[in-house]
Amino acid sequence: MTSSIVFDHLSFSYQNTTAPALQDISGEMSRGSFTMVMGHSGAGKSTLCCAINGLVPRFLRGDYVGRVMAEGMEAGKNSVPDMARAVGIVLQDFEAQLFSTNVELEMAFGLENQCLPKAAMEERIHAYLRVVGLEELLRRDTATLSGGQKQRLAIGSVLAMEPPVLVMDEPTTDIDPEGRHHILSLIRRLRTQERTLVVTDLDAEAAVQADQIWLLRDGQLLAKGRPAEILTDSSLIESCGIRPLATIALFQEMNWPGQPLTVDAALAEIENQGLLRPRRPEGRNISVLNHGKVILETRNLSYQYPAGSTNALNDIDLIIHEGDFVAMLGQNGSGKTTLAKHFNGLLKPTTGYMLVRGRRVNSYRRDELPREVGYVFQNPDHQIFAPTVGEEVSFGPRILGMDGKTLERNIAEALDATGLSGFEDKNPFLLNRGERQRVAVASILAVKPAVIILDEPTTGLDYVHQLDTMEMLKRLNQLGHTIIVITHAMWIAEAYARRSILMKEGRILLDGPTSEVFSDETMLAAASLAPSDLIRLRNRLGLAAMTLNDMVKELKSEAVSPRSF
Amino acid sequence: MNLTFYNDRATWLHRLDPRTKIGGVLLIFVVCLCFNHPLFIAGILASVLAIFTAAKSLKVLWKLRFLLVLLFVFSVVLWPFFIKGKTILLEWHGLEVSRESLLYGLAMGLRLTTFVSAGLLLLATTKNEEITNGLIRLGIPYPVAFALATAIRLAPTFADAGATIVQAQVSRGLDLDSKNIFGRFKRFAPLSIPIFISAMRYTNFLAMALESKGFRPDAPRTSYYEPQTTGRDWLVLGSLTLILAACLYMRVALHWGIIISGRL
Repeated sequence: MTSSIVFDHLSFSYQNTTAPALQDISGEMSRGSFTMVMGHSGAGKSTLCCAINGLVPRFLRGDYVGRVMAEGMEAGKNSVPDMARAVGIVLQDFEAQLFSTNVELEMAFGLENQCLPKAAMEERIHAYLRVVGLEELLRRDTATLSGGQKQRLAIGSVLAMEPPVLVMDEPTTDIDPEGRHHILSLIRRLRTQERTLVVTDLDAEAAVQADQIWLLRDGQLLAKGRPAEILTDSSLIESCGIRPLATIALFQEMNWPGQPLTVDAALAEIENQGLLRPRRPEGRNISVLNHGKVILETRNLSYQYPAGSTNALNDIDLIIHEGDFVAMLGQNGSGKTTLAKHFNGLLKPTTGYMLVRGRRVNSYRRDELPREVGYVFQNPDHQIFAPTVGEEVSFGPRILGMDGKTLERNIAEALDATGLSGFEDKNPFLLNRGERQRVAVASILAVKPAVIILDEPTTGLDYVHQLDTMEMLKRLNQLGHTIIVITHAMWIAEAYARRSILMKEGRILLDGPTSEVFSDETMLAAASLAPSDLIRLRNRLGLAAMTLNDMVKELKSEAVSPRSF
Repeated sequence: MNLTFYNDRATWLHRLDPRTKIGGVLLIFVVCLCFNHPLFIAGILASVLAIFTAAKSLKVLWKLRFLLVLLFVFSVVLWPFFIKGKTILLEWHGLEVSRESLLYGLAMGLRLTTFVSAGLLLLATTKNEEITNGLIRLGIPYPVAFALATAIRLAPTFADAGATIVQAQVSRGLDLDSKNIFGRFKRFAPLSIPIFISAMRYTNFLAMALESKGFRPDAPRTSYYEPQTTGRDWLVLGSLTLILAACLYMRVALHWGIIISGRL
């Protein structure tokens, strides 16, 4: 096979930084192959992508050593618009890439740059909208598309230019599970063609279908190989900030032979080798829900956006108790965030009531509510403004009138709880995304609200930072804070939330102990969700545990005797 | 908050050549400058509103009703203090308000509203790409036209980010309604810095995406949308020119529509 992309001892450091972003990267990707580039955040995945079409070093400048060839063109020597003939790239922030009035014109933009005549453009636009499954939306305003549709449009608009190489930087980040499913199946379809695919992702489950995996750590190419070689080494990929495959991890912990990459393979393996006796799911531990004091309550709450014609929320009756750990699940547009914004009074119900500690939200003074309910927004950059972490964290308590010893103590405790002690004088803008996320949490925590709502707290974080964030929330919950997490990451709900609320089209579809909600795969499917591989295995095997460790304990305690070892 | 102005409808106004619409809006601007009597300008505003109705786009104006009312009220309240008229209605410590200055203020308020409405009429019936295309065909250099169109395109995006940032800071206790002047300075940074940073990040990404799709401002490119000039375009431009000529005649020869002479 001929090589499509060649890295030849590439090293790169961004301007004004000391640590290199990439160090001595060498390797080849053959034509028509699909390479998955994986690594922790800051490992150099995006830099690697941008080096293929010359954005590094032509747009993002710095010290550049070595060479990258794509389809015979040297990336550093040609301008980025010239490289567009060989390489199409879908950047991480898909929102920022779409800027045309409608879908059709967005698709046309690259083709106009290629100076195609109108008839040829029309043909390509229709052909590639079909590929990405958006042909019905030809005239739609791009701003009205869902996240997943926007991402598919971004991919389609690059595909239409027919580049021999297609690079996609984290195409499934920040997209709801259904959108993610569409994009992964699109990638599967794209690889059957004569096109070199390079995709970065944080999720091992998405990498199973690749031809090869490149594993990056701290700017170095740590390993490359087939998925069966790389993904089976749980400790290696975990050291790169990637959550190991549940199937591999379970088989390793249980000392079972075999290295299945998928749930189906794992089930086949278990059956063929007789690793488990066939069993009926019975006597599951039903986790008991918390029945502490009521802290949040909605009564017949409905909400209609000022410009909307249909209700964003319909007749929501919900009670949340003090000390609960709740996950709110559902597709984009299902109403999770709209409902959560009622909890701290950002939105007012159109009809019905929102009660905090039995009092109507409206009856609270402006400075009272933030002490009861804190809300951490999805993107920490939407709130960070101060020159130091200390000032940032003290903003909330100060504005609410705290000072002196109380203020100092609260800030110290908030920094401690978020693992940011010693960061007081650091510039928050120079921290990484995981740390900025923690600054945002600390700045809410410093007010000591009884309830903390977090909108997608793990988006954009790698596995290590996701674990850090969730362990921190677990500690806060143990300290008595009520935690409400809005999330698309199923494993987070499974492993941490005691209660899960499933939403669809502005209504609550299912509400109960997480272990029960995730046993009901039909209901999850109705909300276009699916459990993680681990929980799918658990459900098939009829187990009660919700985490890998508990599952291993449960299995070992049952003294299973495999027939053939 | 959705600040996209384009209203996708299939009316004859939408189908006009963008150059006709740009030219037409400029003609309306000049017509507005012909008079300073509120009744005359109210007539022009009424015609613009009628065109809005024909374009089925009144909802775009409705979106900006607060801005329009604000502009109007400010003009009406402030102008009278800066203009001298004959018929004094009120005098107080050297400040005087006259019948003429009041009417002039009213006229200026209407004129400003008409300006903004005419501009919105263009944005409501013309896609961004069409405006860029029209500007280029009118001889504006490509980078300038593109920058202008991009600015119009980014306004709603930044407004969206701004709304999220306001919500995030209000959740932390930021009180936007406080009347304390020091408080007002204090709340400037929590809003402006995140908005500025997200705008920088966004435009940087956009520039990278544009270049990666082979865009360069100085290179030739084809256009997916090719506006056609038809008889209707000439009809519109011809009528507007006739109207302008008639208005100039009324003002210059007949001295109609003047409250204070010697002023626009």
